[in-house]
Amino acid sequence: MITLLENIGALLQRMFLQAGLYPALLLKILSRMLRPPFFMRQLILQCEEVGVQSLPVVLLTAIFTGMVLALQSYIGFHRFGAESMTATVVSLSMLRELGPVLVGLMVAGRIGASFAAELGTMRVTEQIDALWTLSTDPVRYLVIPRFLAACLMMPLLVVLADAIGILGGYTISVHALDQNPTVYWNNTFLYLKEIDFYSGLFKAFVFGMIIGLVGCTEGFYCEGGAVGVGEATTRAVVLSAMSILVGDYVLTAVIFQ
Amino acid sequence: MNSNNIKLSTRGLRKSFNGRVVLEHVDLDIKAGESHVIVGLSGSGKSVLLKCILGLLNPDAGRVWINGEDWSQMNEEQRLARMRCIGVVFQGSALFDSLPVWENVAFVLLRHGMKQTEARNRAEEVLEWVGLPGIGSKMPAELSGGMKKRVGLARAICHRPDIILYDEPLTGLDPVMADVILSLMSRLHEELQVTSLTISHNMNLVRRFSDRVSMLYEGRIHQQLHRDEIDACTDPVFRQFVMGSATGPIHIQGMMPRRRESP
Repeated sequence: MITLLENIGALLQRMFLQAGLYPALLLKILSRMLRPPFFMRQLILQCEEVGVQSLPVVLLTAIFTGMVLALQSYIGFHRFGAESMTATVVSLSMLRELGPVLVGLMVAGRIGASFAAELGTMRVTEQIDALWTLSTDPVRYLVIPRFLAACLMMPLLVVLADAIGILGGYTISVHALDQNPTVYWNNTFLYLKEIDFYSGLFKAFVFGMIIGLVGCTEGFYCEGGAVGVGEATTRAVVLSAMSILVGDYVLTAVIFQ
Repeated sequence: MNSNNIKLSTRGLRKSFNGRVVLEHVDLDIKAGESHVIVGLSGSGKSVLLKCILGLLNPDAGRVWINGEDWSQMNEEQRLARMRCIGVVFQGSALFDSLPVWENVAFVLLRHGMKQTEARNRAEEVLEWVGLPGIGSKMPAELSGGMKKRVGLARAICHRPDIILYDEPLTGLDPVMADVILSLMSRLHEELQVTSLTISHNMNLVRRFSDRVSMLYEGRIHQQLHRDEIDACTDPVFRQFVMGSATGPIHIQGMMPRRRESP
């Protein structure tokens, strides 16, 4: 019985210690990101990694999501003769929900894993220690550029994903379902409000923060050799994805209620 | 620390992990220009000591003085600013995979604003000194273990530090490459009179490279000797270590499997 309680206690202690690393690293990021030295080259490299390199997967996801959404909505609306609403549903869904969430999940899988694996490997091969001994703050050199790149690139990726998703919906509706192109375009923008666009961007920014923070924290504090790097990478993807879904609900509730 | 002759010093250094004490009251004084080697069994806390000195681990208690300044009283930024006076050669070289060799070597110089061409020339100069001319454009993944170790050494000395710390510099190298590295270390010590602290369990290194040797055993400095005193030392623990014998006062759990337990 005592052993069981000890094990539960040890598990809880590990969980709390692990959870405490997130605010600790966030605090370090926030307190150092506005003071020099700034590593602009690192930031640009990470923006390219997060933004440009993620484009194929993000755009492919967006275009097929838009196409499927148009097809499904058309079939549903056809039952009560409201096919013209397809365009509105596609644009609203892409801007408010599907754009930010799907891009978030895709980037969490690609970039969250990459951050955790890269930093984790650097940790276990003493490269992070080496940075310190070369009078370079590893948080400034490694973590801040990655965190900022995720925060800055996510909204841009979402804008592109929204556009491509809507275009996918248009292609299917006009060319496969014989809807009138002019009516489709009009209905796409008819019921949209500015907040639909900006809320999506805000969500993307928050999801970028989540992906950057979780990936960097898991990698930066990684322990235990190759196994540890593997575990950190898995945790980074799972935690980022879960946090994005939970965060999406919270943000939606806050913004639209 | 008032003595100007002391470059690096620790007092009462203590470090434990999950209740297991790894270092207990470690006192060390390393004079300017001295080559000091710390030996000890695997897991005796040698690398932990090095990390505590560098500030990569926070000791539970004790102080570290480098160049007469109390580093244990400094914050991260103050220590980072002073880190330029130290060069570190890591056990696994710890080269940055994403940078070419020359950028690895000239990392500190570039960080402190030296122009790229100037930094590259200096890096190539140091690479030539360690016997690796013309490899500046290669990536670390293209190098052998011995080459990585030499690039690690080049990186440690490129910014001309006062103190060099070596963490197991000969581990994992073939005897010939070990001799090359040892020769480079000796040359560096003789030519530049750099103060060095080396962590090793290689007695060949101790005999050829050390001025003084300290043995870390059960978390404490068990024995401290001048190089010439090594063979005359009668301490049974130190003798067993030097002889590399499995039998003696050093107790390691599960060290010698009994015959019936052998696989």
